[in-house]
Amino acid sequence: MPYVLPTNRRQILQRAGFGFGSYALMQMLAQESSVTAAPAVANPLAERPPHFPARAKHMIHIHLVGSPSHLDLFDPKPELQRRHGELCPDEMFEGKKFAFLRSRPTLFGTSKDWTFRKCGQSGIELSDLMPHLQSVADELCVVRSLHTDEFNHGPAQLFMLTGFGRFGRPSLGSWINYGLGTENSNLPGYVVLITGSVLGAGNSAWGSGFLPTVYQGVEFRSQGDPVLFLSNPPGIDRESRRDVIDTVNQINASTLSEVGDPEIATRIDQYEMAYRMQASVPELMEIESESQATHDAYGTTLRSGGPGPGKPSFANNCLLARRLVERGVRCVQLFDQGWDHHGNLSGSLPKKCQEVDRPVAALIQDLKQRGLLDETLVVWSAEFGRTPMAQGTNGEGKKTSAGRDHHRDAFTLWMAGGGTRPGTVYGRTDELGYSIAEDPVHVHDFNATLLHLMGLNHERLTYRHQGRQFRLTDVHGVVQRGLLA
Amino acid sequence: MNRKTFSVRLIGILVITLSSWALRSGEALAVDYADEVQPILKRHCDRCHGESAQEGSLVLFRRDAVLGVADSGVPIVVPEQPDRSLLIERVTDASAGDLMPLDGQPLSRTEVNVLREWIRDGAEMPDVSGTEHWAYQAPSVDPQALRQASQRNLSPIDYFVEQKRIRSGLPSPSLADPATLARRVSLALTGLPATLQQIDDLQRDPSEENYRRLVDELLASDAFGVHWARHWLDLARYADSNGFQADQLRSSWAYRDWVVDAFNRDKPFDQFAIEQLAGDLLPDANLQTRIATGFHRTPTCNVEAGVQPEANRVQQVFDRVNTTATVFLGSTIECAQCHDHKYDPFTQEDYYRLFAYFNNTPLEVEKASGVRFDFVGPTMDLPLTDEQAARRKQLQKQITSLRAKQDALGGEDRFQAWRTQVSEALRQGRARWLTPTPHFSSTGEEPFQVLDDQSVLLQGNPPGSTEYRFSYDDLEGPILGVRLDALQHDDLPGRGPGRGDAKRTNFVLHDLQMRVETGKKRHLISLADAKASFSQSKYDVAGAIDGDPKTAWAIAPKFDQPHWATFRTTEPVDAPRADQRLVVTLDQHFGRGRVIGRPKVSFLIGPPETVGLTDEIAQLLGKATPLEAAEIEQLRTFFLANDPETRDPERKIRALVSRRDRIQPETTLVMVEQPESRETFVMRRGDYLSPGEPVSPGTPSALHPADADLPPNRLGLARWLVDPDNPLLARVTVNRFWAEVFGRGIVATPEDFGTQADAPTHPELLDWLALEFQSEGWSVKSLLRTMVLSETFRSSSVVTARAAELDPDNRLLSRGPRFRLPAETLRDNALAISGLLCREGAGEPVMPFQPDGIWRAVGRNQPQWTAAQDQDRYRRGLYVVWKRSAPYPSFVTFDAPDRAACTVQRPRTNTPLQALVLLNDHAYAEAAVGLAQRMVLESGSDDPREVAAYGYRIATGREPSLSAVESLLALFESQSALLAENPDLVDQRIGVLPESFLDPAFASGADASEAKRRLGAWYAVANALLNLDQTITLN
Repeated sequence: MPYVLPTNRRQILQRAGFGFGSYALMQMLAQESSVTAAPAVANPLAERPPHFPARAKHMIHIHLVGSPSHLDLFDPKPELQRRHGELCPDEMFEGKKFAFLRSRPTLFGTSKDWTFRKCGQSGIELSDLMPHLQSVADELCVVRSLHTDEFNHGPAQLFMLTGFGRFGRPSLGSWINYGLGTENSNLPGYVVLITGSVLGAGNSAWGSGFLPTVYQGVEFRSQGDPVLFLSNPPGIDRESRRDVIDTVNQINASTLSEVGDPEIATRIDQYEMAYRMQASVPELMEIESESQATHDAYGTTLRSGGPGPGKPSFANNCLLARRLVERGVRCVQLFDQGWDHHGNLSGSLPKKCQEVDRPVAALIQDLKQRGLLDETLVVWSAEFGRTPMAQGTNGEGKKTSAGRDHHRDAFTLWMAGGGTRPGTVYGRTDELGYSIAEDPVHVHDFNATLLHLMGLNHERLTYRHQGRQFRLTDVHGVVQRGLLA
Repeated sequence: MNRKTFSVRLIGILVITLSSWALRSGEALAVDYADEVQPILKRHCDRCHGESAQEGSLVLFRRDAVLGVADSGVPIVVPEQPDRSLLIERVTDASAGDLMPLDGQPLSRTEVNVLREWIRDGAEMPDVSGTEHWAYQAPSVDPQALRQASQRNLSPIDYFVEQKRIRSGLPSPSLADPATLARRVSLALTGLPATLQQIDDLQRDPSEENYRRLVDELLASDAFGVHWARHWLDLARYADSNGFQADQLRSSWAYRDWVVDAFNRDKPFDQFAIEQLAGDLLPDANLQTRIATGFHRTPTCNVEAGVQPEANRVQQVFDRVNTTATVFLGSTIECAQCHDHKYDPFTQEDYYRLFAYFNNTPLEVEKASGVRFDFVGPTMDLPLTDEQAARRKQLQKQITSLRAKQDALGGEDRFQAWRTQVSEALRQGRARWLTPTPHFSSTGEEPFQVLDDQSVLLQGNPPGSTEYRFSYDDLEGPILGVRLDALQHDDLPGRGPGRGDAKRTNFVLHDLQMRVETGKKRHLISLADAKASFSQSKYDVAGAIDGDPKTAWAIAPKFDQPHWATFRTTEPVDAPRADQRLVVTLDQHFGRGRVIGRPKVSFLIGPPETVGLTDEIAQLLGKATPLEAAEIEQLRTFFLANDPETRDPERKIRALVSRRDRIQPETTLVMVEQPESRETFVMRRGDYLSPGEPVSPGTPSALHPADADLPPNRLGLARWLVDPDNPLLARVTVNRFWAEVFGRGIVATPEDFGTQADAPTHPELLDWLALEFQSEGWSVKSLLRTMVLSETFRSSSVVTARAAELDPDNRLLSRGPRFRLPAETLRDNALAISGLLCREGAGEPVMPFQPDGIWRAVGRNQPQWTAAQDQDRYRRGLYVVWKRSAPYPSFVTFDAPDRAACTVQRPRTNTPLQALVLLNDHAYAEAAVGLAQRMVLESGSDDPREVAAYGYRIATGREPSLSAVESLLALFESQSALLAENPDLVDQRIGVLPESFLDPAFASGADASEAKRRLGAWYAVANALLNLDQTITLN
């Protein structure tokens, strides 16, 4: 077949020494093209201005899966300790629904081995189980009056994280991603890091529901490829990958000039970004490059006193969270499994606290030292709280030493940085820690406040689906001014 | 508002038909209220200024109100004067107060311009104050329009589309070339690319008739049902797991196969709906119609500890009600769970009347034990598969034949012979255990004492290891067995039976030997049939007689008790002669004093025939007087149970029966009605713990009435839904099929046809399709045939400059469809191109390749992901196991839902993560090897240029341009050079494909390494081809 050699575009581009995006291509192809193609479709992840000046540009949302005992960590109850062992008052049990408690339980005060201490200038009372957190008490904005609608894990996780107790709604992070876009086009706008098994709500906890899937969280895994399919298949080196992408983009560019579908221009850009991610993500995951002092502060598993080199750990994830935020990722979400202490609280809680206390405190300090805490909202989250009454069975229903059941009516979460009021305790529970006595904050109020801190009006951040404007907070939610700096 | 009576629109149509000359110049016509203005008001304003709410007493849906004044006295809309109209001011000027709408994104510039234009043109709007929404009116088509279409020999689709296009000033598109069209129609109908033969054939003869023939061929192929089932299973939220914490797998794939089959058989859509909603209640219900009810057994189910089964059931019923309304009515009635619907005519009572239809199924969560819960609920057995049935038959045959043999054996003669033999033997006495006095010694030389019961109590320091020897000069015969007791004693540490320590009183007996010694000559007696009071795990008593010094009998943790072991001699042993001794040795060399503290050795002695008789049987057999009938029967039963000749076959039969019974039919989840109806109440605020007024099953009052003779159950509901008077079902259904074929619905919100829905872009077209669908007997194949035969479908998808400007989203169908393939189709397409695709279907879901660590434990009974190595690895995406908490990752990346809830329309995104899947996912790497193989082997050419061109054709269905071939060649050459320098990479590349799929041409032979190197280079080219926009796009 006769064949005329056209100008070899690859060689021109290779001489230029880098890959190319659709814009460069469009320019090159402009003269050859008979069809005026539409410009690339607007990038759905392009950075967008907030509704009003934001207090926080980034969020690190730490969800303790299973829900820690706030009564033993953040909300001291001397009266409960005093009455430890008494049968609980009738009104705390009769007509109420619990996940496990089936007969009238006894009151369960915090162990005498664990003491609360007034910390820092602010004098916030925190348990000795978290000594490192105590040292950053003045940065914390503790909310002791959260309440939710659900008391089983799966539905409560969905409710806390998507504002709805069933599947199908967008997650908090995906709403933020949708509202604000991302600063760093080489990384996803919403990254998820997990230690332990996945929570019951599954991928929906960071899913995009009915929002376009580009807004969903992307899990960075601690083993295997950090991002699924990031590394090249066997036998393909980086140069070959470049070679293949160049070929794909060249042919796609000529299809674009023939057909004019703007999706093709977008696709060309996405292949370039994929190629860049193949370099930027491994660089990001390489926490070895951090200083020894940093590793020591976080207690990572690479060096210092962690549980074993190279193993995934919560400490590593905290350090990664800071690196992600530094690189402009909008929303980082950490999940840590293992906080559902129905029994054997005295053994399990200190162990879990030990895993997270140092890294969480180090994260706050590190952000502060780097001047990032002002613009980074750190959230300590859980799906609900624990009962002030004792439960003594494990998940199989066997007798164990005492723990606490799920409690939806009153629990504690805290925030730090990102325009929250530092050194504050907001809201109050009754003397037994059962109900809210002052300033209740519903999950919708809390989420409305988080969006507000990110510069988003929760009533205006809407998406049209099934004939109506949906939002994270349904038709509820009031921004809690008392939590703002 | 009833748009059928809207005069402005009719005038509009007249204007169009009279003045098509003016339109060719692209002059835009007056803004149409119903088409353009009303949707804007509905979308942005109706929530607060519509029928259900009038914030600031402002109403924007009635003509008189719109032309009136606001509370402030300012006119809302002044015809022809947009700048004096408050409406424009409030949506554009924040200084006039809060920018409207208060609760949503501001209006786009285009939208504001439409409003301005409309006001400038005189703000024409119909003077109706009714609540009648277009979707609730019966579909109707102007017969005049159909006549015109037929006069011009146009399909009504093309006629209506052309009308709209002309009105919008858009030129007619050209038709797509035959190759593009063949690939497009094949992907649209079957989800697989056209074969090269099909493409060639249409290119050779691009006539209408030949195209029609291709369409019919595709509609008739089995791939059709597989493709359309995918779409339907999104609606049915079908998955293979429960969802939530435990997320165990469940078996419901028979329903999935039923859907495939229904599409392939072109089951009329009304019947399709009825069987899925109420197949169990049909008068002629059968296996298939019951399987169909799996449609509503798909809701998620939470079995986490502490769950409330009733709360779970109520959530599932909510899901059934909401899904039914979404799928069959295009209505989102979820709002009415808690209160009357804000926009659409559904009351809370309507909601719970629908709820009542579904309120009669059993709980699906059951407390298993303690706080552990299980997924239960009705399942149905499926017929055995052919293979199962054959296996069963074979086992049954074996059982029957053994039984016959056994019957023959159990005959009277044998029994009588046994009776005589044993009776005679009994005259010699009955076998019994005797404990003679031993001559004892131990290699440890520790002191000992023989106690009265002839047991030996060891004393002194326990030796680390030792061998006890029991020797007997004078014994009766025949000897049939030996028994060892390890007894306790107060003098032993911790009372024994071992001597090692007081806490762990274990002993370890490595070998027990029994022998006859004649002088120095030893004759070892073979022992068998070891039994013991208890054996420690991995220290079975059989180890004591197997001759292996490493195996042994021990008894931890049952320390605090005596133990025994018995062994049978394989032959009766005669009593030792005068010059002989019978010797039993116990070798114990574990160390740390794990030796027996008080052993006792006994022997079973007597006629062998009498062993194992019970006292009662022995007595009967010894009786001198004749036996009674009942006594003989007792003997016979004993004989049959103990005679090895009959007992062993019996055991074999029992094993076969259990194997036969383990062949159980597969099951599937189905709907059933409980015999007793549950009462249904309105739930206050949607809370099942706050029941309000009781309600009975009934259909929403705003929609068409239900026939009085319909039963008040799911079947009645199903028949009401498919009633020809239902204006929604046909419209909603044809719109969804349209959206799948064209990439976008005529109503852009296929999940919602309520008052908040987007208006149809082509209302007459929608109505015509709906009517046509019904008059063609609800035939889906016929509906799709009509769509793909239209010129609208066959148009070129090239975006002209004018189309890009006036119709960027192709709402007006100014060009043919062009969109990225859905997740499963994308993979199927790649597999088909690579030649790896397995077209077999049905049955249990399959596990192809996926990266490690996707299925992380989220609960108990966690199944493992084991990637298939056979054909199942390349089955169509429909058959990939769907686990809700972790669906197949590449599907998720390409916008597949988690199937936890009904999904009507998948988003269609374009992301870098998708590029990573197509470039790097092993599944696509394997496909690239497959494609490279095809290119090399099928192109039949050594010219790289021709190989490249062939690959491009397989991947895209089209001939490549010169520049495309040049690009591919350059890649091949640079890769060939790379592989010449780095030959190691070749095997790494090809190795991703399981070896059995590698063509022999590359597996062995003299040329293999050269052939392989070329394959490795083509692999990179194939990788590029599988990533081309043209490959992954329906265009």
